[in-house]
Amino acid sequence: MTGAILRVNPLVLLAVGLGSLLGSFAVRDLTVAVVALGAYALAVVVTVPSWRYPLACLALCSIAALSLVWSTWRLGGHDEAEALTAGLRIVVLAWPGSVAAGYIDPARLGDHLAQSLRLPGRFVAAFSASLQRFWTFVREWHELERSRRARGVGPSRNPLANGRYAAGAAFALLVQALRGASRTSVAMDARGFADAQHRTWAEPATWTRADVLGLVVATALALVAPVTLLLT
Amino acid sequence: MTSSADTSITGFFVRYRTIDLVTIATLGVAFGVVYWAWGKLYEPISALAVFSYPPSSGLLGGVWLIAGVVGGLVVRKPGAALATELIAAAVSLLVVGGTQWGFSTLASGFFQGLGAELVLALLLYRRFGLVVAACAGALAGAFESLYEWTSYYADWDLPYKLAHLAFFSLSGAVVAGLGGWLLVQALARAGVLDAFGPGREHAREV
Repeated sequence: MTGAILRVNPLVLLAVGLGSLLGSFAVRDLTVAVVALGAYALAVVVTVPSWRYPLACLALCSIAALSLVWSTWRLGGHDEAEALTAGLRIVVLAWPGSVAAGYIDPARLGDHLAQSLRLPGRFVAAFSASLQRFWTFVREWHELERSRRARGVGPSRNPLANGRYAAGAAFALLVQALRGASRTSVAMDARGFADAQHRTWAEPATWTRADVLGLVVATALALVAPVTLLLT
Repeated sequence: MTSSADTSITGFFVRYRTIDLVTIATLGVAFGVVYWAWGKLYEPISALAVFSYPPSSGLLGGVWLIAGVVGGLVVRKPGAALATELIAAAVSLLVVGGTQWGFSTLASGFFQGLGAELVLALLLYRRFGLVVAACAGALAGAFESLYEWTSYYADWDLPYKLAHLAFFSLSGAVVAGLGGWLLVQALARAGVLDAFGPGREHAREV
């Protein structure tokens, strides 16, 4: 529990998730599954600042894994080892990535996509701007709820009517979001966004020694499953 | 000679306006949150007795295909469907707790977006009716099912896999295709798509 995960940049965190996805293809038997999962569990325990969030992610993954164990056991000829491997493969695939993704800051991600990966600046800036509107959506949802209650169209106890209410509010939110999108784009164009030749970024995107070390660890973790498969 | 009133696009001229980019990203973020919430509801719903035949859980998958169809129908430019679906998948990964499928969600988003994109590309981005939307949803579902054959259900027997493919495509055609098309019409009527094709079609001459 060192909190080291907070010091690496978002691309390294993405690499952890991508590595676990690629590594999970080598999870073919129970030994490989247990070894790979153990390696990821050790890395998570060492790097995260608190155990609560990784455990919540693990719980969410386990639900999916259990349903897969059951369906594989039923449809794949009642083979327990095979079913258990399929379930653990999902945990190796999903859990490290979902833990790592939780520590990604959208604004820093935008900086790194544009400056480190050199993705087209217009696309990245538009994506980053929309991602940051996420919290505006949350606020607007509460406003919609308040104004609807004031007009006497609040949610009732009937779940069916409640579903209709939620769908109506979600549509209203989508309409507001798209209005916001056209306002944002007019504002961006007014500042010469569309035809800019040289673009500057407010924050630098740096690669420190911690980032390089993080990338090495992510690669090593991804290789655990294939190497174990070759050795056993 | 083309008059100034003639606004039809000839050839493959693809230049994304700022509003195209911001709308794609906004739709991506909005549907990403929907995808995340549906992911949380999916497990309890798919465990219901109605879905005791496991391949039928594909029927629930259509919800995850809607961003690509809507993005493609609204922006009507090459790459819009793929980009919207991919951003929605990425956002569902970044919202608190992510999804239970981890980074596999990104691969799913890619294949789902590709399915919808291919149908629109085959029609050279000229047709955006209900049938086209349903086909886009169905192919997105078929691509996703093929991806899940290799990543999740590798040990299922072939008949089950084929049933999963059929259920997923059907769900894609109805939920994402028909649902997405209706949503775009409703948004156009609400007047927020005036800068796009569907909004112009709804404009009434005064």
